[in-house]
Amino acid sequence: MTKSDPEFLARLTRESLEAEKRFIGNIASRLGRSVTGPAPVHPYRGAPDFWTAFELGIEDKIERFMENWRAAGGYPERIASMSELPEAIYRIAKEQHARSTIRQNLPELERLELASVLPELSHHAWNGGDPEDSLDICEQSDIGIVLADHAVAYTGTIVVTSSADKGRSVSLLPNVLVAVIPAERMLTRLGEAMKEIASVPAERFPAGAHFISGPSRSSDIENDLTIGVHGPGAAYALIVG
Amino acid sequence: MSKPQGFNVKERAKSALQDEFLIDAVKFTTERLKNGKKAATAEHGNWEEWRERGRQIRAHTVAHLDYYLSRFIENARAQGVHVHFASEGKDAARIAMDIAKHRGAKSVVKSKSMVSEEVHINEAFEKIGIESIESDLGEYIIQLANEPPSHIIIPAIHKNRRQIAELLSKEAGETLPPETKVLAGFARRKLRDKFLEADIGLTGCNFGIAETGTVVIFENEGNARMVSTVPKIQITLMGMERLIPSWDDLEVMATLLPRSATGQRMTMYMSGITGPRREEDGDGPEEMHIIIVDNGRSLQLGDPDFQELLNCIRCGACLNACPVYRHIGGHSYPGTYSGPIGAVLTPALNKNAEEWHDIANASSLCGACYEACPVKIPLHDMLVYLRNRKVERGVTAPGEKMAMKGFKMLMGNHAWFEHAVKAGQLGQKLLVRDGVIKSRIGPLGGWTAYRHIPALPGKSFREQWTKLSSEAEKSFKPMADEMKSRMEKIVQERTKGGHRA
Repeated sequence: MTKSDPEFLARLTRESLEAEKRFIGNIASRLGRSVTGPAPVHPYRGAPDFWTAFELGIEDKIERFMENWRAAGGYPERIASMSELPEAIYRIAKEQHARSTIRQNLPELERLELASVLPELSHHAWNGGDPEDSLDICEQSDIGIVLADHAVAYTGTIVVTSSADKGRSVSLLPNVLVAVIPAERMLTRLGEAMKEIASVPAERFPAGAHFISGPSRSSDIENDLTIGVHGPGAAYALIVG
Repeated sequence: MSKPQGFNVKERAKSALQDEFLIDAVKFTTERLKNGKKAATAEHGNWEEWRERGRQIRAHTVAHLDYYLSRFIENARAQGVHVHFASEGKDAARIAMDIAKHRGAKSVVKSKSMVSEEVHINEAFEKIGIESIESDLGEYIIQLANEPPSHIIIPAIHKNRRQIAELLSKEAGETLPPETKVLAGFARRKLRDKFLEADIGLTGCNFGIAETGTVVIFENEGNARMVSTVPKIQITLMGMERLIPSWDDLEVMATLLPRSATGQRMTMYMSGITGPRREEDGDGPEEMHIIIVDNGRSLQLGDPDFQELLNCIRCGACLNACPVYRHIGGHSYPGTYSGPIGAVLTPALNKNAEEWHDIANASSLCGACYEACPVKIPLHDMLVYLRNRKVERGVTAPGEKMAMKGFKMLMGNHAWFEHAVKAGQLGQKLLVRDGVIKSRIGPLGGWTAYRHIPALPGKSFREQWTKLSSEAEKSFKPMADEMKSRMEKIVQERTKGGHRA
């Protein structure tokens, strides 16, 4: 397969700019405007005020998150410190008959030194520099380990964003997801996580921002719940601290 | 695509009503979703305030659609997206095929997209020899059956597990038992291979965030994530009205959509995709195209009766609430969208007066759809506007037209009216049994095919009026001033079309 030809893309761009004028012009004229005006005042932005004032204490947040994660079919656990992580991962690997892990290429996860602490499993780290290989390894790994950017207590959601070191595939392709959540990253409302994401400047904005609330599921066959249809069927949330 | 046969909604409904499994499955599923929504909204609390905020955001965005769409396009382009415009469905298909042909693509994997059903993208790809595979489990099943979706959220609602096992066995080349786990396991393996070998991933779009040019997709299975992670090229089809101004507004939509659709606090996945992979990223598409589709939507803009249709967030709650949908199922509706939203949207998008005649009648005007709608679209009012326009354009059924003409004549002449009532009181004696008319013959046949008509009372309302009015006078109390002014205010504020936003 070839890359798209620059000339082809240039033609599409020309056509797009032409069509845009007509397309937006038509919308404006249907709305009774001859030209599109400046930014309108948006008086209803975001959640109602009573909601944005809602905030839980840290223990309540953790409790609520665990309740929601469990209700969605996931396995929440709380551990005291990062040093207990390898043991938890070992236990999960046994439970799930897993033989291999792939993790985001982050210093917090590298410091776990999984290869030397858990030599009975094979371990990999995501390598954005070698995309084909990384995708293959990810596809064949049993456990994907990610560090959550944020977590949201009210909905039982973790947020992972993509980068060179944080492949989207790590939280998607393996059968088992292990999400590590430092307690201080636990938020109350979805809106708080969205604010964090929106505040990232355009030049550093992540291509993928994924909100994950449990294992992959479907009820398309006679309303019968099926877990692990395309994404991970077992989702562990390890809250640290 | 095979659908239940029949020229109009009555015939299609009749064929659907003969399918016992369909009736049970639709009832069961809609009941489950409806109860789920009820529980989820009650648990969350303050639902009316959330609904109102959802309505405000959507109405505001649509009222300033030219501005927000321009921002979205500008920000998406800045992140490297190729943006395209399709005035009609066939334009969207042409652009997608243009890209696929240029790249020499052999296969496309798709996640759920109602717009793609509108533009018949699968057929377009197949025509030029490109395999196009649905990856949502329900969509995959009905694609194998060569049928369109019958419910916006649960597309294979009408298939039982034996039928599904049969379809998947044919695909597997071996007999699979009708067990959910086995069937889903087969689909997972089969589709995993398809994801890995596909040249193009095609997605829909629940919301486009104007401030960052982000495409937001809600799902439970993870197939939309696969489609937007593994293939080298991503094409996203987006209805032109899918926008919200900001990420702050996404919190409101994320509160309303999953709860209204399936009663979930949140779908298992919500992905915000902003442009193709960054240069140093190891996955995500290398090239990303967004095709913005009009296909009849702009006709609703500036139309005071129908602009609010564009506020729809495609949750399917109105289907689950609708007594008509719950009886006849999705295939009885023409076009891509079924239920109350489909009854209004299909003719609106097609500007087809003939279809107005047909589908606007498939409603009891009970208002359950409005009650269920998370952004408060007055669908039942719109059905009345549709019927209105259909009468204005003269596409009413001949019998109904004649009845209306007769009604006008009788109402215009006091003496004729009294004679007619007397004639009715006498004439019905042949037909009344147990106080109702059940006969399906003559001019009343269209009514009595579905319901009984109460017999005319021995004395007409008019004949009883003298007695009734004196009784009513005695109990009459004038409306309190406070209530009166409140009612007047409500009437005043009820402006149509979201121009207030």
